[in-house]
Amino acid sequence: MSLILGLETSCDETSAAIIADGRTIFSNIISSQIDIHQKYGGVVPEIASRKHIETVIPVVDQALKTAGADIRDIAAIGVTYGPGLVGALLVGVSAAKALAFAADRKLVGVNHLEGHIFANFLAHRDLEPPFVALVVSGGHTSLVYQRDYNEFELLGQTRDDAAGEAFDKVARVMQLPYPGGPYIERLAAEGNPEAISFPRARTGENYEFSFSGLKSAVLNHLNSAKQKGETINGPDVAASFQKAVVDVLVAKTVKAALASAVDKIVLAGGVAANSFLRTELAASCNKAGLGLYYPPLELCTDNAAMIACRAYYKYQAGEWADLRLNAIPSLKLGEKKYFVEKK
Amino acid sequence: MPILALDTATLVSSVALATADTLLAEMTLETKKNHSEQLMPHIEQLLALAEVSKSEVEAVAVSIGPGSFTGLRIGLATAKALAYAWKVPVVGVPTLAAMAFGCPVPGAILAPTLDAQKGNLYLALYSGQGGAVTPIGKPRVVNHSDAFAELAKMDEPVVVLGEAVKLYSSQLASEPRLYIAGPHIAMPRAANVAFLGLSMLAAGEKHDVMTLEPMYIRRSEAEELWDKRRSCLG
Ligand SMILES: [Zn+2]
Repeated sequence: MSLILGLETSCDETSAAIIADGRTIFSNIISSQIDIHQKYGGVVPEIASRKHIETVIPVVDQALKTAGADIRDIAAIGVTYGPGLVGALLVGVSAAKALAFAADRKLVGVNHLEGHIFANFLAHRDLEPPFVALVVSGGHTSLVYQRDYNEFELLGQTRDDAAGEAFDKVARVMQLPYPGGPYIERLAAEGNPEAISFPRARTGENYEFSFSGLKSAVLNHLNSAKQKGETINGPDVAASFQKAVVDVLVAKTVKAALASAVDKIVLAGGVAANSFLRTELAASCNKAGLGLYYPPLELCTDNAAMIACRAYYKYQAGEWADLRLNAIPSLKLGEKKYFVEKK
Repeated sequence: MPILALDTATLVSSVALATADTLLAEMTLETKKNHSEQLMPHIEQLLALAEVSKSEVEAVAVSIGPGSFTGLRIGLATAKALAYAWKVPVVGVPTLAAMAFGCPVPGAILAPTLDAQKGNLYLALYSGQGGAVTPIGKPRVVNHSDAFAELAKMDEPVVVLGEAVKLYSSQLASEPRLYIAGPHIAMPRAANVAFLGLSMLAAGEKHDVMTLEPMYIRRSEAEELWDKRRSCLG
């Protein structure tokens, strides 16, 4: 049995996990900072880094204890080294390198976005590449063709705001708490998605996204209603905005899957928790004869189990990092730094 | 009992290995390279050069600040993870105290400094007696000109250490009453952290690998702005 310790500190969750043979979660400890950042209306990098240094060892210890394992039982340590907040990433990367060195274990640098996709391998034991994956979160909106476990092709991403970021920004203007995604979703459930026609940024025939125009359109709508003294129908605005985001995500993802000749779509990232997106994508997949996979809610948001899962497949392929591994805040999907070949 | 010591509070990257009476090895570099890429490789090289195996290390000492927030966290994450995996004690050594400890001039006031940005310094004062140093007051943030004026007025001779030596060299040169330490004495060095750490451990000081945190002195900018905004609103 091959155990992997995963470590994740790229944003506002400190998380450590132990998984066995790539697919079985033994422990997945997550210490969230959402409460701390809430009053600032977003993640404050310096505060996030301060919290990570406080919680990183307790979280690792709890992950090991919950799994009934010692650090010496671990085959490799996988850590997120990008993308993310540099100061936050450095806490995890520094701790992981020291643990790997101290215990003489292999070190694997993991791309956070790839980790999100791999959450699906933990949730679905039968799932195998190739597939097209849509990674949607507060920081990212990317369409990925995953050919094999270690082969990725970025088909397209957002030119401006991430989908989750658009949710958060619209929520802020509507005076909903941070993070706004779940509040928009709840409000939208009571509204009419066809009430207001917000723009869908198709950005031509490619697989790129753009959400800043939509965000501005929602702001304009709210402002002009306010100036005219009209009462704003919050649920209708939320539902129409959400529909505009989801329409574009679904259309491009299905198109990418058909063009790549794959038979399944994988949904990943924090916004994958949005049930409207899940329902709409499921309907379109059904029509197009495509399978659809998404993780359970607890594996959608940032967690170390998904990082450990990604690390397992890199470890198996001999893609180990050396002790120079550094945080790369703008790491690209599929990009590899500091790995040494298997001898 | 070899202790491994780290200091990454400033641009200086320093690692040392020491027993109670011997500095076995020290690597101190002030280059443009970042701590993240060089700290672990240096620790590995240091142990190899000193021919000390991992299992022989009996404690880890780390410079806990004040200093560069990111540098401190790289040092602490590394030190805590090493101590946790090796199941050995960790000891957090105040950065300014370690610098004073490295320059114990009897009868003098030792004034180690670190850059606190925007013309400010982190400053703490120590008195040197025999081989030991005793703190006079707590570390604080002070404007560099105010600090130099305060030090120049003291009755005892004052030795200025730390980052102010380089940052404000010409201003310090115009203060005839202040003694300026040479570059190799002024800089933070892990050897100082190792020996102050050893004496802290010998004195029974215990730090928890789970909870040890950097000594920031300063809160984050976001927190300060938040409080300012709140007090404006009444
Ligand atoms: Zn994420």
